[in-house]
Amino acid sequence: MPKHYRPAGKKKEGNAARYMTRSQALKSLQVNLNLFRRLCIVKGIFPREPKKKVKGNHHTYYHVKDISFLQHEPLLEKFREIKTYQKKVQKAKAKKNEELARLLLTRQPTYKLDRLIRERYPTFIDALRDLDDCLTMVHLFAVLPASDRENLEVKRVHNCRRLSHEWQAYISRTHALRKVFVSVKGIYYQAELEGQKITWLTPHAIQQVFTNDVDFGVLLTFLEFYETLLAFTNFKLYHSLNVKYPPILDSRLEALAADLYALSRYIDASSRGMTVEPKVDASSSSQSNDRAESELRLAQLQHQLPSSEPGALMHLVADKEVEEDEETRACKSLFKDLKFFLSREVPRESLLFVLPAFGGTVSWEGEGAPFKEDDESITHHIIDKPSAGHMYLSREYVQPQWIYDCVNARIILPTEKYLVGRIPPPHLSPFVDNEAEGYVPDYAETIKRLQAAARNDVLPLPGVGKEDLEDPQNLLYAGFMSRTEEIEAAENKKTMAEREKQYHEELKKELKKEVTGSVVDDVAAPVVEEGEGEESSVPDAAQIAQDTADMPTLMMSRKKRKLYDAMKIGQKKKSESVERIKQRKKNLKADQ
Amino acid sequence: MTKKSQGANEDQVKEPKRKIVPLKSQKEAKEVKSSKKEEDLLLDSGTDSDYDGCSLSGSLNSDDFDSEDDFDSHRETQDDSGHEGSDEVIDSENGEEEDGSDDEGSEQREVAEESDSSEDEVAPRNTVGDVPLEWYKDEKHIGYDITGKKITKKEKQDKLDSFLATMDDSKNWRKVYDEYNDEEVELTKEESKLIRRMLKGEAPHADFDPYAPYVDWFKWDDAIHPLSSAPEPKRRFIPSKWEAKKVVKLVRAIRKGLIKFDKPEEEPNVYLLWGDDSASDQKSKHLTYIPPPKLKLPGHEESYNPSLEYIPSEEEKASYELMYEEDRPKFIPKRFTSLRSIPAYENALKESFDRCLDLYLCPRVRKKRINIDPESLKPKLPSRKDLRPYPNSCYLEYKGHTGPVTSISTECSGQWIASGSTDGSVRIWEVETGRCLKVWQFDEAVKCVAWNPLPDFPILAVAMGVDLFFLNTELGTDEEQQRIEELLRLDNLPELDEAAAAIAKWLPDEKYRGIKIRHFKNLSYIDWHPRGDYLSAVMPGGETRGVVIHQLSAHSTKRLPIKMRGLPVCTLFHPNHRGLFIIATKKYVRVYNLHKNGEPIKKLETGLREISSMAIHPGGDNLVVGSKEGKMCWFDMDLSSKPYKILKNHPKDITNVGFHRSYPLFASCSEDSTAYVFHGKVYSDLNENPLIVPLEILRGHSSKGGVLDCKFHPRQPWLFTAGGDSVIKLYCH
Repeated sequence: MPKHYRPAGKKKEGNAARYMTRSQALKSLQVNLNLFRRLCIVKGIFPREPKKKVKGNHHTYYHVKDISFLQHEPLLEKFREIKTYQKKVQKAKAKKNEELARLLLTRQPTYKLDRLIRERYPTFIDALRDLDDCLTMVHLFAVLPASDRENLEVKRVHNCRRLSHEWQAYISRTHALRKVFVSVKGIYYQAELEGQKITWLTPHAIQQVFTNDVDFGVLLTFLEFYETLLAFTNFKLYHSLNVKYPPILDSRLEALAADLYALSRYIDASSRGMTVEPKVDASSSSQSNDRAESELRLAQLQHQLPSSEPGALMHLVADKEVEEDEETRACKSLFKDLKFFLSREVPRESLLFVLPAFGGTVSWEGEGAPFKEDDESITHHIIDKPSAGHMYLSREYVQPQWIYDCVNARIILPTEKYLVGRIPPPHLSPFVDNEAEGYVPDYAETIKRLQAAARNDVLPLPGVGKEDLEDPQNLLYAGFMSRTEEIEAAENKKTMAEREKQYHEELKKELKKEVTGSVVDDVAAPVVEEGEGEESSVPDAAQIAQDTADMPTLMMSRKKRKLYDAMKIGQKKKSESVERIKQRKKNLKADQ
Repeated sequence: MTKKSQGANEDQVKEPKRKIVPLKSQKEAKEVKSSKKEEDLLLDSGTDSDYDGCSLSGSLNSDDFDSEDDFDSHRETQDDSGHEGSDEVIDSENGEEEDGSDDEGSEQREVAEESDSSEDEVAPRNTVGDVPLEWYKDEKHIGYDITGKKITKKEKQDKLDSFLATMDDSKNWRKVYDEYNDEEVELTKEESKLIRRMLKGEAPHADFDPYAPYVDWFKWDDAIHPLSSAPEPKRRFIPSKWEAKKVVKLVRAIRKGLIKFDKPEEEPNVYLLWGDDSASDQKSKHLTYIPPPKLKLPGHEESYNPSLEYIPSEEEKASYELMYEEDRPKFIPKRFTSLRSIPAYENALKESFDRCLDLYLCPRVRKKRINIDPESLKPKLPSRKDLRPYPNSCYLEYKGHTGPVTSISTECSGQWIASGSTDGSVRIWEVETGRCLKVWQFDEAVKCVAWNPLPDFPILAVAMGVDLFFLNTELGTDEEQQRIEELLRLDNLPELDEAAAAIAKWLPDEKYRGIKIRHFKNLSYIDWHPRGDYLSAVMPGGETRGVVIHQLSAHSTKRLPIKMRGLPVCTLFHPNHRGLFIIATKKYVRVYNLHKNGEPIKKLETGLREISSMAIHPGGDNLVVGSKEGKMCWFDMDLSSKPYKILKNHPKDITNVGFHRSYPLFASCSEDSTAYVFHGKVYSDLNENPLIVPLEILRGHSSKGGVLDCKFHPRQPWLFTAGGDSVIKLYCH
């Protein structure tokens, strides 16, 4: 009887019954691969790894329950309906019945994804947790050029752009932004919403290029879902601020590509309880900027005070007061009294997002800006040119990196290193735990010292700063000490062993001298040795240390030993990379 | 050169061919000329020789073509050349020619008529015919004129000069070089106009009207009969029923609201989805959702302006190139000194796409990740200091052998050790001093030596090749000596049965005054019974007769009443149970009861690939098996037939394992020239598992040959090791 014989009529059991391959799934769902893919994407269904792969290693396996879940999805029916409808249109077109085709096209069946979102993310927290990819994708598509070839419509790009700005406006308004990092790939932002850390990447504001090795069908399906998800998330967020969604923006500002500013003004205005849309005085810019400022102030004040509406009050108490923890307050007041002006060449979108998020007031060069360059109260002028033209003495001219570094350090860093025309100090990632990594860059230590100084209100002297650094250093020192001790001990052992050897040799000589071949009391000699014959004499100290370390590994079970070895390899890799960086640093120092 | 004269020339050139077809008219001559011209232009436009040939053939075809109608014949040529793949320019040239001819039709005809008479006036023309002009590339002439004289090439102008000339000449743009005749032709205004029309896609002839009014040639007036004599049907005069039906259908559809004229109002597609989260507390009926893992957060090296030490040097970058593509780092840090200089990231879409693929194509599995110090995985072992004494340092070396020492054996009092080497010598050493007491020299490499375990019978058994020797060591008192000599005298050899005789023969050994037993196969291992009377010998080649037992007192040999399975490797007599006999084959260890006629009692499954050695705890319940893959198995024979513990301690073959007779110690030695000493305590309480603790790695033997044997001292916690470097070492505590 073959091993896998199963009597006729007996049902399958185990993995064979619980999992099916993709082609089996396609067959049972009666869909093609494209449709299946779309369904999987919008339903969030992914392959699973069975313990035993019944059909072989080269298949993708789906859980039977997942597939039956798809089977009962109304969307599947809807997709089929659309497909047959498309056929109808095509038929009409083929018969040159343009009128019918046009008529049919106006009544195309459509579908909505809101139910799926509710299904996939039963609570708002769930949605926030999975928002990383969504935000990254939407931000990416917001800067892509619309393209006929890839079936990417202008409408969608605009929608992405609008959604991303709405999101940023909310984050900025609630001061939920925590970390910013400018990398080669783009700008990473990290915000904290309802205890969830949400990180997303926005590409640099430069024309992106289409590559050929990308299947846009997949991307667009994902985008479709993400757009819906972000729209609902934004709705919920705006709702929590008592702001109407979707926001109606000032068309003039929108036309000037200052959507973010328009949005923030909108939120400010409507969260005050004003149902009137913000009006911008097109006539006089000075008046408008005054008004904008006052509006901002008012909005902020308003938030401190409970609003008159009982519902809103509850909301404020429930949401704001609790949520406004220490960190939010710190973020809010980082740039509180500072006024920024952005030059033309700096990344405006990013800074317009970041600066208000940390409590700064900001304007830019161009139409619709709240205040002009010649405003006397401007404290910092952000500039990214080799040299500034006309310079006001009342303000400081700094490079944009200063802002990002300040944000990450949560203190106002001294501006000397970031002044115009200088090469700024290295921009460090705020996402790295330097101590855990094993290597602390120089500038990180400088920042740490500055932070400590800011906290203690003491001048950043190196001697003072050391106290704060003590912890890691102590650790390091301790580690170092333990190692040196080990080495010493090993050396001691070695000398002892040598002495012993000498002693033994002497003893041997004595014995030989004494009597050869006579009966020796076989206990006598060892008794003498027992006193100090303890350590091995030949192998060196390192060998001994190695042996003692390896000894317990012999007694591990195989599983544990494998795990131990894998961990050791990982540690070794890490330490190697740190070592490499240190070596490079040494080389750089040697070159200087 | 004017066009007219050129035309005349063409006629001349084509003269020989025309003779073939005598019926040719002047018009046709002109046509030939035009085709010729076309070819020239082709050459000018820099087409390759193939092309040139094609057009040539085209011209030839037209040559053969006989037609009265000028226009038609031209169309033909044009078609031909077009068929061969000519482009617009060629067409236009054709057309132009034709146009020119039509423009000044009569005049040109005249010229053509005169052409015969005006022969003398024109310059000599080329008569080479349709040969590729390449053939004349290196010649000084381009062909021959009608009289057979060489036509010399024009002198090539200096590039600079020609360029300047072209620059100066305002009419240069309409000059065309005729390679065949080696001359420049200037297009007339009409010709250039014609080309322009052709380029525009219009008819080449200016006067040609493509939309001329249709001339109906059919005479309608004087027909007697109509085309159809049927009367005009009624339906032409009443409203259509089907149209009415269609209209009714539409009206109904509009009334029912199936057809709407105003667009349906868009309902808001965003609303408060998560209004109350309380309702969503119900458990979903579906499988657990595994959230996708978040992307790795960027480190310092991904910064646009990282510290300098994160940027790899040029050599490192070059070394990346040499790596395999999988090993190559995915991201190479770069440095930009200002924000404005950061370029667009070229992989943004690709990475986003990859992430999407991961999200919907990768199986998700929840994995436990342990974040612990790996050191905490190590088991807590009792301190080695508490487990003293154990051998840990080399105390003495016994040197004297010239070959690898294959086997050592300790005398039961612990005063002497015997050793056998591949150089054929067997030596007895004094343990304390390292003095060599006695040497026997044999011809063959010694395989195994073993002292008789009885203290008053200091007899040494030595196995080499097919022979087994019992040697008198001449130690002990005179009385003992007498007894031994008596024992080793082969006077009254008992009659062996034939089977046993075929296996081994007892012979006296004159040289050393001992006994020699000659076996039928090579010996590999011998082992004394604890009582000292019996000795088992193993012959791996002996198959079913691979293990025999000799009785020294009776001078007899017995076959085992056991069916051997597999090749025997080593044997053991159980230390406490008299009749139990343990045989290790390559994969299994089997226990037999010899008192009950070799009844199999136990089979231990080692799971090893090849057993090399085995040793039994003096208590008799625990067994250690060493293997050639460097693994050591501890069996608790009461517990199970599977190993209680498997230790993988040696990277190479284990050569021998051994237990200490009184201390809780055991050791293994291997070809990697190390020996391990373990603490192996067996408790009398059956519920408690044996305690095994690795104690020491003994190094010291040179790396060649490894350690071939290890034996504990019978009384002290000392270990003897025999090395492939022909040294025996004593490790003391």
